[in-house]
Amino acid sequence: MNTKAAAPAGQRLLRLAPKVAFPVRPRSLYAGLLLAVLLLLASVATLNLGRLGIALADLPGAVFGGEATGKNAFVLNRLRGPRLATAASVGAALGLSGALFQSVTRNPLGSPDVIGLGAGAGAGAAVTALLLPDVLPVSAGAVLGAALAMVLVYFATGTGFRNPGRLVVAGIGVAAIANALIEYVVYAVERDKASVLKSYVNGSLNASGWDDAATAAVALAICAPIVVALARNLAVVEMGDETAESLGASPGRTKTVAVLASIALSGAAVAAAGPIAFLALCSPQIAKRLTRASGPHLALSALAGALLLILADLASQHLPLFPDLPVGIYTMALGGAYLAYLLLHEWRRGAL
Amino acid sequence: MATPAKAPARGTGPKGPGAARVASSLIAALALLALALLASVKYGSLPTSFGAVLDVLRGHGDPYLTTVVESRYPRTLLGLLAGASLAVAGCLMQGVTRNPLAEPGMLGITTGASASIVTASAYFGMSGQMATLLWALPGALLAGIVVYVVGTRGGGSGMVRLVLTGAVLSAVLSAFIQAVTLSNPKVFDSYRYWVVGSLGGRGFEVFWTVLPLTAVALAVALLLGGSLNTVALGDDSATALGAKPARIKAIGLLAATALGAAATAAVGPIAFVGLAVPHVVRALVGVDFRLQLGFCALLGPSLLLFADVIGRVVLRPQELMVGVVTAFVGAPALLIAVRRMKGTA
Repeated sequence: MNTKAAAPAGQRLLRLAPKVAFPVRPRSLYAGLLLAVLLLLASVATLNLGRLGIALADLPGAVFGGEATGKNAFVLNRLRGPRLATAASVGAALGLSGALFQSVTRNPLGSPDVIGLGAGAGAGAAVTALLLPDVLPVSAGAVLGAALAMVLVYFATGTGFRNPGRLVVAGIGVAAIANALIEYVVYAVERDKASVLKSYVNGSLNASGWDDAATAAVALAICAPIVVALARNLAVVEMGDETAESLGASPGRTKTVAVLASIALSGAAVAAAGPIAFLALCSPQIAKRLTRASGPHLALSALAGALLLILADLASQHLPLFPDLPVGIYTMALGGAYLAYLLLHEWRRGAL
Repeated sequence: MATPAKAPARGTGPKGPGAARVASSLIAALALLALALLASVKYGSLPTSFGAVLDVLRGHGDPYLTTVVESRYPRTLLGLLAGASLAVAGCLMQGVTRNPLAEPGMLGITTGASASIVTASAYFGMSGQMATLLWALPGALLAGIVVYVVGTRGGGSGMVRLVLTGAVLSAVLSAFIQAVTLSNPKVFDSYRYWVVGSLGGRGFEVFWTVLPLTAVALAVALLLGGSLNTVALGDDSATALGAKPARIKAIGLLAATALGAAATAAVGPIAFVGLAVPHVVRALVGVDFRLQLGFCALLGPSLLLFADVIGRVVLRPQELMVGVVTAFVGAPALLIAVRRMKGTA
């Protein structure tokens, strides 16, 4: 990993292999380090805090040395370990998914969940739970519902995912159908089932296991190399289709691959933890604000997503206000607050 | 209706279709409403014929059938009231904000009312219809004010911005509603029945509770038509003509909010009636707000009652709540409208 100052002003090239190199700005590097440190702290807090927490002194041995016994082993392997791993991988998947989508649509609101993916997934889950309880797993229903919602929005706008205004309004329409379905199913099933379903529909880590963590991690592992290969072209595509064409970045293919990867990542996240609101929307924006640079910020968005979800899950585990609330409700409040900030401060500049 | 509206403008209103077309539209709308009312008392889990229902309405029908038909009166009256409220509220909001997407649901008013109701039943031991209505109002009003102030700040008229402000507020309030209902099983249980939006299972009590407020707000709205025509000329021209645009807008939004809140309190959140009906009405009678508001009050109930009848028929003997039906009918209409949108916003 030697660095060489041959890139545009303020950038350095990070070389992994002779043919694989990334331009890296020092500021981005520091931002990445900062996020990584915060991620580590939040993870330690998740394992340590509370009545069942693993003592700080025991933590390194338990996690790395396999020395956990008794209560510690139970907490690490059954309760908080899988939950933390799921939060990290789902958060990273959502952050990356949002970064890809926003980069392609050149639209800070072009996030899978704003255009109805979350609601579609919830409706898919609800309908499978009501109509096909033993035929299809609820998570498969969620993925199908999400895919259907995306297809609907894509065709409803008439211009694909490009136009921010149409995207938002079409998303609202699709989300309205999906929410009506969800409310109906929650109305129609028994109360206990309704309560469980409602938790899932909001995105919950309460019952996360290692297989959930694995679902999101596998999607990340498959998509990450594709995204790395795509990163340079994506940065060029952000400059506009004509520029991209003239630089040989084939915008059409780049966009298609990026959108497919984005949908696959959100789909896996939904399958693992239910539709968690607003993470895909906020993470890329946080990354952007940290670095103050243009471009897609893919790795930083993934880090920010993981950090946000772990923090939200920490809140859902320890905030005394509403015990055991699905984590998605915290991210929904967080995302709403962030959007409100956007509305009040950013749009004065006439961005919308 | 074959000739395009080339007739000279009548009276002081903006140019619109001729009197003949308005009259024929009025007759058609009244007939449609009568049909909707009749269908609403006819259709249900017990199949009946129109003749038998008419006998009951004239007061000499089969006693058992009389009981069945009379049991459908409250929901029919509620549909009449809620449909008119939602459509007129949508028309007012679209006029005041000059945003074709404005309606009580989009602008967060419904969610504001819901949040208010949930809070009251979870923490203040609220129960009963009167209390529900009273609690729905402040939440709806607050939400409406916040969305309007934030969404139009700095004179921006971007329609996406207003809708997005509504969506943001709805998201934050929904998070709150979910949090309260999920940690409060009793509230959750009543909320999940209320939130689908239904005309069924509510008695005359609900109707009488919301009637006074709705009647006053509807009257205010219908009287506001001429002033809204003036405001539609633009703030400067309206001021030059001696109108007070800010006051007219405030009264309009207040009436719209009261209507949205009353309808929501009575029958739960029902989407798209407030959005779709004013568009249909504009296509029918043009831009004169006096005509628009009146026709909305006639066609809103027709849409809601027919949606309710569809809900009762498709899953017989069970029924699909009217809120689900309007979402399934209204959302595709919205999507089609999106395809026709010009430019970015």
